[in-house]
Amino acid sequence: MDLTLTEQQKMLQATMNELRNRDYTKETLVAIDAGKEPALGHWQSLASTGILGSLIPEEFGGAGASLADTAVIYEELGRGPVPGPHFSSGVLAALVLLEGGTDTQKRTLLPGIASGERIFALAITEEDYGWGPEFIQTLARTRGTDVLIDGTKLFVHDATDATDLIVATRLETGSIGLVHMDKHARGVATRALPGFATGLSEVTLLQALVSKSSIISSMEDGWDVLERAMRKATLILSAYQVGGLSQVFDMSLLYSQTRRQFQQPIGRFQRVQDHVIDVVNYLDAARWTTYEALWKADEAREGAIEAMHTAATTASESYYYGCNSAHDVHAGMGIVREYGLTLHTKMSRTLYHYLGSPRYHRKRLAHALGL
Amino acid sequence: MDFDLEWTPEQIEFQAEVRGWLANHVPKLKDHADPAALTADEYALQRKLGRELGAKGWLYPAMPSEYGGGGLDLGMSMIIEEELDLYHLATPPYYDTGGRLGSASIMVWGTDEQKQYFLPKILRGEIRTWQLLSEPESGSDLASVATSAVRDGDDYLINGTKIYVGSNHGAEYSWMIVKTDPNGDRHKNLSWFMMPMGLPGITVEPMDLLLVGGERGAASGVKNTVYFDNVRIPASHLIGGENNGWEVAGTHLEIEHGLLRSAVRSDEMLDRVMNYARTTTRRGLPLTDDPDVQDSLVDFYINSQVTRLLHFRNFAYRAQGKQLTYEGSQAYLHQKRSALSKARSILEVMGPRALVSDPEWAAENGHIEVHQRASIVEQHPGGTAEIQRVIIARRLGIGREKREQPGQLPSAENQGN
Repeated sequence: MDLTLTEQQKMLQATMNELRNRDYTKETLVAIDAGKEPALGHWQSLASTGILGSLIPEEFGGAGASLADTAVIYEELGRGPVPGPHFSSGVLAALVLLEGGTDTQKRTLLPGIASGERIFALAITEEDYGWGPEFIQTLARTRGTDVLIDGTKLFVHDATDATDLIVATRLETGSIGLVHMDKHARGVATRALPGFATGLSEVTLLQALVSKSSIISSMEDGWDVLERAMRKATLILSAYQVGGLSQVFDMSLLYSQTRRQFQQPIGRFQRVQDHVIDVVNYLDAARWTTYEALWKADEAREGAIEAMHTAATTASESYYYGCNSAHDVHAGMGIVREYGLTLHTKMSRTLYHYLGSPRYHRKRLAHALGL
Repeated sequence: MDFDLEWTPEQIEFQAEVRGWLANHVPKLKDHADPAALTADEYALQRKLGRELGAKGWLYPAMPSEYGGGGLDLGMSMIIEEELDLYHLATPPYYDTGGRLGSASIMVWGTDEQKQYFLPKILRGEIRTWQLLSEPESGSDLASVATSAVRDGDDYLINGTKIYVGSNHGAEYSWMIVKTDPNGDRHKNLSWFMMPMGLPGITVEPMDLLLVGGERGAASGVKNTVYFDNVRIPASHLIGGENNGWEVAGTHLEIEHGLLRSAVRSDEMLDRVMNYARTTTRRGLPLTDDPDVQDSLVDFYINSQVTRLLHFRNFAYRAQGKQLTYEGSQAYLHQKRSALSKARSILEVMGPRALVSDPEWAAENGHIEVHQRASIVEQHPGGTAEIQRVIIARRLGIGREKREQPGQLPSAENQGN
């Protein structure tokens, strides 16, 4: 029983903190959010830290780190919140390839992900939105040695920044095929979706043609591969949400001390205190459910699946409600874009449904508990 | 990071020793849903077990052995706690606030003589103590107590009324906070006494309350009003000096605000409600097939996990000698609030069966109906949810430049759990 970071994790945390303070200051993040700076402006610098290969084994150019080590990195990124395809590519796509890819696919694709040269996005969900195989309508039809893909993928994270896609398709056999494709291939179009969300896009596939060898999950149903990858990726996403919320808490605490109304700091009012306390309660609930789930996953402990669904539910809900409470603390200042709180509010909404909403994870948890 | 409770070979050996000893010494105790049903004979059995544990130093295993504790580390203490938990018992196996709370104050503030006099009695289970804090006009504002102690020669004369006190079947001693300087500044006008309950002028009268809860075998069953009418107590029973009572109380309040909750206990109600849902059918279908039931149970489960993890964090931090600030009250607050939400989940799942104590229709031998009441009762002891929030705010420094410091605790190895 030792709830502290390892020396190596402390170093990772310090590295990421340094990177954030250098490349992703609040001003930069606000500018990226407003479209005034490119989202990938510091991608090379980010990639040079090696974090994109954190989960990728050394033989494929990565660091072969544990989920808990990787979570330390993503918790720091979440503090920004640093947007961009680091999670889509370095975590989700890497895990899909590791779980289902052939040796050739792993050898040709993973080193590029680890170096940041290739940027992957996963196109899973569609207009009929949901995180299950039953929602996949995009068709993949065999044409000789090729596959022809038609469909529209919606609310895809980070597709506009990507060089490569992994698309969930319905094969002629009825099972799910995860297909790797060059984003710039003929018949593939991406379009960013504006609004109160970060990095969402539409991906249109119109008779997009790839070779059969691009199917990642040729040996089994693609959804099983995706499911295994998601179980791990979800934990990293939770850690990112924990990081976001810890920043929201720090902002709220500081504001309660420095903002004065009625001749005193607003944090002297118990009504205001309650909102800050709500934030720290959400934060610690998310933090400790996430940490325990990470530990159970890394150590393959009994109850790892239950812990993962508990963490995913708690982290998503906590980030969402924690931001609401932070807005109660900040009032008008909270909605001034340059102040930076809305970056988190927007991210908490964007991630709420990602890899399954709290409602989805609650249902899965009920199942895992044998209910 | 590692959430394992991994025991060393030495600890595993100790675990076997404890297990074997308990198998031979824990009496068959009736599983009362309502602790008020505890009979005098059953109480005597619990006290006997307490004295036997005390003789081995296992009643308060983490307290120093020179004063009658076990002098064991937190891991060993936790093993004892885990093993007792299998019998739905805890240390102590009856209601006694002296061993963890009162004795901590004596440890920090008592003279050597007082420590030698009081602590072994408490820590070996020879006496049981109650705490006398609240009064009719002093609840959350504990520092406003009006019960007075006036110096008279070598004694003090005590007058006043304390409420929400103790348990059924009496106590040998109580510890209490009283006013010794009616004109003194707030927080500097109070004193802390160890009160022999057999002194003339003390009257104990049971209160009629919704329920008196407690934990496991330590449930108190009854709360009392205690009247003091010119009670003469020797000045040697004053702990920590005259008008220093608020500091002395700061020690046990610090522990009570969440620190003492064990990180190892199973959530008995979670097991009960899951068991009920898995074994009950409605119109021929398992109750667990109902998505609404699933929702309620999952809510319960998640609440239970968060409470457990917050306590576990506190325990782990403390075992590593890290000073807690807001964390104790945060865990306590979560426990209090989730008790209400769990009670609602149960009511949703079981319907009116959750509310009846009728032997034929009560669910889980009446434990469910008692929990419906206990969830309400749990909201105020050890400081209301609002008071926990006040403490959290001060300790985090919300709206303050300086964070409030925690009350003074005995050194890390002597804190008990």
